[in-house]
Amino acid sequence: MVASLRTTMRSPRWRKVVGDLWLHKARTSLVVSAICVGIVGAGSVLNAWSLLRRATHDEFDASNPASAVLRVDSVDEALLTKVRALPTIAAAQGRRSVLGSVLTSTGWKTAALTSMNDFAASAIGIIKPGQGAWPPSNAGIVIEHSSVDYATVSVGDSVTLRYGDRAGRAVPVRGVARDVGLAPGWMEHTVYMFATPAMLSSLGAPSTMNELQLLVRDRTLDRADVQVIARDVQKLVESEGHHVSEVSVPVPGRHIHAAQIESLLLTQGAFALLALLLSGVLVVNLISGMLTGQVREIGVMKAIGARAGQLVTMYLSLALMLGLIACAVSLPLAALLGRLYAEFTAGILNFDVSAFRIPWWAFVLQFAVGALLPVLAAAIPVARGCRISVSEALRDNGTAIRGESDGYLMNIRGVSRPVLLSLRNAFRRRERVVLTLATLSIGGAVYLGALNLRSAVIASVDLAFSSQQFDVVFRMTRAYPVDSMVAAAITTSGVSAAEAWTGAHAAISTPDGALNSRFAITAPPLNTAMLKLTIASGRALLASEENELVVNRRLLADEPRLAVGRRVTLLMDGRVATWHIVGTTDTGLQPAAYTSRETIEHLTGGVGATSLIVAVNATAPAAKLALVRQLRSDLVDKGFDVSSSQSMAEARSVLEDHLLMVAGFLGNMSLLMIVVGGLGLASTMSLAVLERTREIGVLRAIGAKHGAILAMIQTEGLVIAVLSWLLAIPLSLPMSIALGHAFGRVMMEVPVRLLPNGPGVVQWLGVVVAVSLLACTWPAQRATRITTAAALSCE
Amino acid sequence: MTNPLIVVRNVSKTFSAAAGPFTALDNVSLDIDKGEFVIVVGQSGSGKSTLLALLAGIDRPSQGEVHIGGTAVHSLSERDMSSWRGGAVGIVFQFFQLLPTLSAVENVMLPMDFTNSWPANKRRSRALALMERLGVADQADKLPSTLSGGQQQRIAVARALANEPAVLLADEPTGNLDSRTANAMLELMSSLVQDGQTIVMVTHERSARRFASRTVTLADGRIVANDDA
Repeated sequence: MVASLRTTMRSPRWRKVVGDLWLHKARTSLVVSAICVGIVGAGSVLNAWSLLRRATHDEFDASNPASAVLRVDSVDEALLTKVRALPTIAAAQGRRSVLGSVLTSTGWKTAALTSMNDFAASAIGIIKPGQGAWPPSNAGIVIEHSSVDYATVSVGDSVTLRYGDRAGRAVPVRGVARDVGLAPGWMEHTVYMFATPAMLSSLGAPSTMNELQLLVRDRTLDRADVQVIARDVQKLVESEGHHVSEVSVPVPGRHIHAAQIESLLLTQGAFALLALLLSGVLVVNLISGMLTGQVREIGVMKAIGARAGQLVTMYLSLALMLGLIACAVSLPLAALLGRLYAEFTAGILNFDVSAFRIPWWAFVLQFAVGALLPVLAAAIPVARGCRISVSEALRDNGTAIRGESDGYLMNIRGVSRPVLLSLRNAFRRRERVVLTLATLSIGGAVYLGALNLRSAVIASVDLAFSSQQFDVVFRMTRAYPVDSMVAAAITTSGVSAAEAWTGAHAAISTPDGALNSRFAITAPPLNTAMLKLTIASGRALLASEENELVVNRRLLADEPRLAVGRRVTLLMDGRVATWHIVGTTDTGLQPAAYTSRETIEHLTGGVGATSLIVAVNATAPAAKLALVRQLRSDLVDKGFDVSSSQSMAEARSVLEDHLLMVAGFLGNMSLLMIVVGGLGLASTMSLAVLERTREIGVLRAIGAKHGAILAMIQTEGLVIAVLSWLLAIPLSLPMSIALGHAFGRVMMEVPVRLLPNGPGVVQWLGVVVAVSLLACTWPAQRATRITTAAALSCE
Repeated sequence: MTNPLIVVRNVSKTFSAAAGPFTALDNVSLDIDKGEFVIVVGQSGSGKSTLLALLAGIDRPSQGEVHIGGTAVHSLSERDMSSWRGGAVGIVFQFFQLLPTLSAVENVMLPMDFTNSWPANKRRSRALALMERLGVADQADKLPSTLSGGQQQRIAVARALANEPAVLLADEPTGNLDSRTANAMLELMSSLVQDGQTIVMVTHERSARRFASRTVTLADGRIVANDDA
């Protein structure tokens, strides 16, 4: 069989197939590049998706994520024993999370410390040991993997930890571990750490367990079933005399960010498929062009006895070879890019994909598409080309113009004859020009749409923060009288305004007493000058006998029961009360609700505030930071126990990091389209030169110089590029809507900006002109190398 | 008396053109016996190449019949025509029409490959033998672009003879050669005829008449003279 194959491959017709590939190296490279771009684009997204799917599913599943978490006043061993005895419960454990501060080389940062009595025996949300020691001990803490770079610490270093305004304490970092259930610390601007209860006590923080984590026995149950079990556990815990303030049940087996990542990858996948489709059409174009140059040879082969079927087999085999070469180049590249992209995305999700391999079916799929795409793309042109009669083939000289007369293009006044010739030439092969225009203009539309999305995202962030007319929030460990807090702040030089706010966490309570996930309620004074909410629907808060609430749209998306006009029962700090939802607002990615400080005071009977909101005169970041430090120090001196502070600039930076990164990912797709469009233009122009060899020879014979030929080809390319630019402007409208919707699914709804961004339009013109000049360089040089004698003797 | 190898009966060929229908051949009849060397002459547009195309099965007559070696060529399907053409006729073109990506010997092997007329392991040696006979065996592994016009045309003749065709059809085979090379080509054709090959050749070369056994002259699509040598 091998010998037979060897004999077959040595036969002249197969040697011709290979020889044609080699002879037309530039065209072969263009076809291979076109397929590669499509396969690398679509393949890398597919590979990343397959890796992330495995990592998020398998690794997350292997960590035994909690089926439900109950926030309880305290969790002791006796309670755990009773809960574990329930037949529906496979495991139960207690945990405590504490917020503090950690001193890094760039200053104090928020530290989130997680503690449990026995990390080694943990069976829920299992933490994966990494470098150094595990578990944490009374002699040192373990830092979460995604916080290492953000905290700029290594194993063996010592960090200063502080809880509230208690004295900081140097604590050794003994190891690094990964908690796949956490969002990455670098993105949350939080240093996640694991510590023993004794370590928390030594910092002055509470150390009793207050989270009850549950793992249900039946892992196939859906969320509603788990909620029923969680309700049973809540009843049991309450019957034991404990107080439950929140019951949180995530979607079983699904990472909290999995839906966003899948949406992102699906959107990118859609663009990658579009690029693949366009590269497929590009392959049709190139193979049609290749066959145009082969018509006479087809005629000769038929004349010496070749049957149409034999020729079809030869040319389809040639297409298959192109596909195989493209696969050899693009599959490893797609695997590499897919893995890099998966690693990056997994980093966002705090997963590690290094232990996973791209599944075999992903390679098979890419190979099948890569190998068969050119065969399918070539099928119709090959069948058409090989059906041509011998006489027609032998008469072909490749210069026929098909289609309607375009004489009107030669009659534009005030334009030189060579430029008119370029204009006319640009439209000679209209199908090909339409395809090139389509790829370039779609690329432009994605580019302009992505810029619009970026502008819309920044405008949304501006909108979200425009309501917050202050610079820093100080959170206290307990409530203080409002006036004393404001007075203490305002005496510090540089503080322009201060208000005392309070806040609480609440969960919707159903008539049977079942609880849901908690959300934060912010409560400024009713006449606040520092929080100007933009009401999206309904109305703002008013002085009222009722408990009024404005919710942000993120919270409404999570909890549709909080729609405007509804009255809901909320459990807040142990008190059940009915609340009236009066309006919605947009304040970022986190679920949030707003009421007045007076309402909270009325409800709780307490007077005082837990947060101090401050606006400062300084505008430079360094001056602001210095002022915040001074103010914090002054507050401590005046006897206020400050637990944490957060600058709005940092909060904005966290939000922008999240949003612009996703907008950037979507915008990256325009790069893929630019490459496909550039290849399309290069192929169109090289085929145009090939087909017009004789015509170029004639032009040279009647005096056209090198420069004139170069200018003619480059002008043709520029005509197409500028037309595509004009088309991209209206096309960017639907693209902006599509990208806006995709972003809405992935992150949050943003007001879609329809009008193209002015500087972006000019930038894109620069990009397409540069792409055109680059794409036409080789065809133009090739045209200047055609000698008059060779061109005129060309049959 | 033996039957003619080629029988052309009342053949007309009309092309449709933008300016209206154009009759290239008008009721032409012609018989050619085995072993003849017939040259077809006439001015441009007289119908010479059209007649050759009809004999080669490259084109079909609008009217009339073409029989070669007993086969009714005019009635063959496109598929059967390809198979018949591969075995029954060899064609030599004015511009040689060698495939540029194949070496000289591969060009000669190509018809055998398409028609599967010789065992695969015998094709190269047969091609080399033909090239030896035509004096170009030493150019076997060169690409056509590196060969002179005369060498390329000899290789084209070897390719045309690869499947031992009953008829060799040549369309101005000397039209692209200098006079010395053209003369050598005509001598080569003559020697093939002496070995029993039937050749029909369209030419403008006046000197070709002295090698031919018959000269057919066409004018305006009609045979105006049919002279034995």
